[in-house]
Amino acid sequence: MKEPSSALVELVNKMPDPDQRGMYCTDIDKEKIERAITNMHKGGRDNIIGVIDILVEPEKGGDVKAHYALHCLALHVCKLKNERSRRRFARTLASQIGGGRPKEVQKYLVRELQVAGGREVVEELGELLVDEELCEPAAQALAAIGDGAAEQLRRALPRARGKCRLTIVQNLGVVRDARSVGALKKAAINKDREVRIAACWGLANIGDAGSADLLLRAADKSDGWERVEATKACLLLAEKLVAAGKKSEAVKIYRHLRDTRTKPTERYVVDAAKKGLAAAD
Amino acid sequence: MQKGKRVTRRQFLKSSVGAAAAFTIVPRHVLGGPGQTPPSEKFGGALIGCGGRGNGTFNGLGPNVEKLAQCDVKFLRHADNKKVYTDFRRVLERKDIDVVAIATPPHWHALISIAAMEAGKDVLCEKPMTRFIAEGRAVADAEKRYNRIFQVGTFGRFRSSTNPGDILTHKIMNSGLLKPCKAVHIKPGGLKVREWSGMVNVKPQPIPESLDWDMYCGPSPLRPFHPHRFGGTHRGYWDYEGGGLTDMGQHHFDPVQWTFAKDDTSPVEVEAFAPPAHPEACGMWGWVELKYADGFTIVMDSHEWPVDKKPSYKRKESRGVSLSDLSEEDQKKIKEMPDPEPLVGFPEAIRTRKQAGGHAAAATRCVSLMHLANIAIRTGRKIHYDPVKEQIIGDEEANRLVNQPMRAPWHL
Repeated sequence: MKEPSSALVELVNKMPDPDQRGMYCTDIDKEKIERAITNMHKGGRDNIIGVIDILVEPEKGGDVKAHYALHCLALHVCKLKNERSRRRFARTLASQIGGGRPKEVQKYLVRELQVAGGREVVEELGELLVDEELCEPAAQALAAIGDGAAEQLRRALPRARGKCRLTIVQNLGVVRDARSVGALKKAAINKDREVRIAACWGLANIGDAGSADLLLRAADKSDGWERVEATKACLLLAEKLVAAGKKSEAVKIYRHLRDTRTKPTERYVVDAAKKGLAAAD
Repeated sequence: MQKGKRVTRRQFLKSSVGAAAAFTIVPRHVLGGPGQTPPSEKFGGALIGCGGRGNGTFNGLGPNVEKLAQCDVKFLRHADNKKVYTDFRRVLERKDIDVVAIATPPHWHALISIAAMEAGKDVLCEKPMTRFIAEGRAVADAEKRYNRIFQVGTFGRFRSSTNPGDILTHKIMNSGLLKPCKAVHIKPGGLKVREWSGMVNVKPQPIPESLDWDMYCGPSPLRPFHPHRFGGTHRGYWDYEGGGLTDMGQHHFDPVQWTFAKDDTSPVEVEAFAPPAHPEACGMWGWVELKYADGFTIVMDSHEWPVDKKPSYKRKESRGVSLSDLSEEDQKKIKEMPDPEPLVGFPEAIRTRKQAGGHAAAATRCVSLMHLANIAIRTGRKIHYDPVKEQIIGDEEANRLVNQPMRAPWHL
């Protein structure tokens, strides 16, 4: 890390000071901010890295203006509607993650990639999916970007443990990765309840007809919250199947729920199944 | 009474009187009868989120709901998982709870509402209904899928629906006869922009022992703890709400939406005048203009920026609709139209299973106004919106704020 240039420091210092309450509520000059950001952006990669170099852990503080300036730069490159500019900005941010910068700073860079990043940064984000501190923001950024996210999640899954594993399983469902059905089926019988629930929902959200029996079994044998969630997965899968024209598979799910939920406290599930059946016909 | 013990006449009379007395103090609602609530109309209730608005929201469930459980992430020290909980999922597992009042910060509103309906409960949820647009559609889908009652905790539309002037406007707008619509509704101030802003220089502090901070953050990013992110002032952070605009907006615009018959659609163009937004803290903005496909325009003018207590919006003036905007023939059609059905309040809805007046499909259209406004403020760009697909057109980065990824295990 090198000292930012005095010209850059001058531009960063044009960002507003927090008021007495620690907020940006007084003396917020839109034109002054936007002018400074435009000039900062003209300095290219060096200026972007210079701003990042000012960022520190939240405990240290003192980087309020640089923190705001980096986000303004992200908004600026999106506003330009110039893909080359946006990609250059995103690649510069991505080049600064996964190294020795403090984890809280890296989290912030990942969140800014969620704002302005695209396909060009998914590999760098994918590398963070097995990092306990960074896997959540990385997975969220990937899910927001969408394009190219599934491949990264799929590749990281075998190496992931604990929180990272749960995060990846869930996001494979979010991005509806049909190539992960096998992995999700395995996860649906995992010993961790949260992983099982996330995997069942993922299979339903993907709309995999071949998962119907597995989901129904999961719903039948579980109780409490897991039963509620597994039942939801069954109903969601049935809806997806109807929408995909696979009515007979959907009808099988609805009939099963209609015929097996005999307790008065699950009457509403029977009603939902009957409603689904009527819509499927 | 001990087995085999002889009972004297005096003892018999005494116990009989006691039994009779006990019988007479059985609550009348158990027996039913005129003016009394029969047992089938008594409901078990739970309050989830016990801060500022908690008890007020619970009271909105109506007089026939008994509070059997309360849940809050700040109850870590004294939760017994019988009456007091920190994890709402444990509450929703209970079969004796029929109705749930939700008064958590808004980043939890949609997820708990959906989970409650999945568990077969009816829901009264504090405003604002959601933190971002896709959450509202998911709540409406759950309401429909499970045929549950949902009502958002704002009731302005109930007043509008009995006001003759608003009813007339509703009928004109609902008829589709007014094309194009030149009406402009300007909301001047009252959106608590400065009051519910966030701090931009928060330094982490120790998490209080009684607080489950991870659960508090829930679907939002797990941030270092700071008291300003919690307990009312959470409103100033994008992670949990959307500033004073989302805090107050649903109150202001819910009756407007009903009056102008926009329960099933959203604006198509949204433009804001604001400085670049901070990534975490909500801050200042001047005005937002939201235009529907038929021309009807809503304006939110903060009167707080760039100059305090002064309007910054100069483009259009307020304008309503009246019968004289229509041809004589169309005026006749409006006069012959019946008034809309009265809206159903939550206590009546859970009893009769009729849809509540502030149901999820309408409530999500209303809170979407504030979310769209905030997207325009946060991106600094004019937004073009597809009200059917509920997506922003031609701006992929802005669209990321419509459906925001959540932290596992939470998802829509």
